[in-house]
Amino acid sequence: MNRVVRHLLTRLYPRDWRKRYGVEFDALLQAARFRTSANVVWSALREHIVPTRGRKVDQHPVSFGAIMKQPSAFLPLAMSLTALAMVLGYVARYGVARQADEGAVAHLWQILMAGQTPIAAYFAIKWLPRAPRQTLYVLAQQAGAALASFALVFFLGL
Amino acid sequence: MGHYSDPPLLVLASLANGPKHGHAMIEDIVRLCGTRLGPGTLYGAIARLEQQGWIEPTPPEERRQPYRITAAGLRVLRAKLTTLRQFAKAGLDRVEAL
Repeated sequence: MNRVVRHLLTRLYPRDWRKRYGVEFDALLQAARFRTSANVVWSALREHIVPTRGRKVDQHPVSFGAIMKQPSAFLPLAMSLTALAMVLGYVARYGVARQADEGAVAHLWQILMAGQTPIAAYFAIKWLPRAPRQTLYVLAQQAGAALASFALVFFLGL
Repeated sequence: MGHYSDPPLLVLASLANGPKHGHAMIEDIVRLCGTRLGPGTLYGAIARLEQQGWIEPTPPEERRQPYRITAAGLRVLRAKLTTLRQFAKAGLDRVEAL
């Protein structure tokens, strides 16, 4: 494998991992074939999600409560719950009759549901490498709240 | 069914007969069971085994870094292989009873 490819592949790993294993990993890649690149890319991605090195935050474990105080953790939850409450309020007031035109509630619901996607993605990218377990738990809650909101709209046929 | 693949166990088994660097481990594991670990998979296993204290680095040879199995690693390897032997024996007994 040539030097540029080796360098690029090694750069995919987290900095602390490279600091420890970078030189010897580069030496190993020197004898490796190009077709093993996919294996390296996948392993580097895995190292970002479940790191073995550079767990600066995990050295002082982050509590679930501390993570939940992050805006990117609670905002998607709040947006889903707001969307859910809006649909329930609409149904309570007007019933489940489908409207010919999408009203303001429908537009707001769409904005709330679509708008939380980049926030949840940012939360996952930022916190998964630092505190995987707690982050996965929050992500599961975010997904559950979003699914509840989608399910209500789907089952009521709105 | 493909080759047997449990990278950390394969690395421990490879180091059981002496220290090796990454490339030597890959070739030894191929001889041992026919599995060729990718560089990423190998170093994923090495990093985790080192973190658990089951392997440790020895003085480097130029840019290559050999590793050796620790006493704790040897205990883990023996326990895992014993379980595998019991599993293989029980499975073979059932097959032969058919």
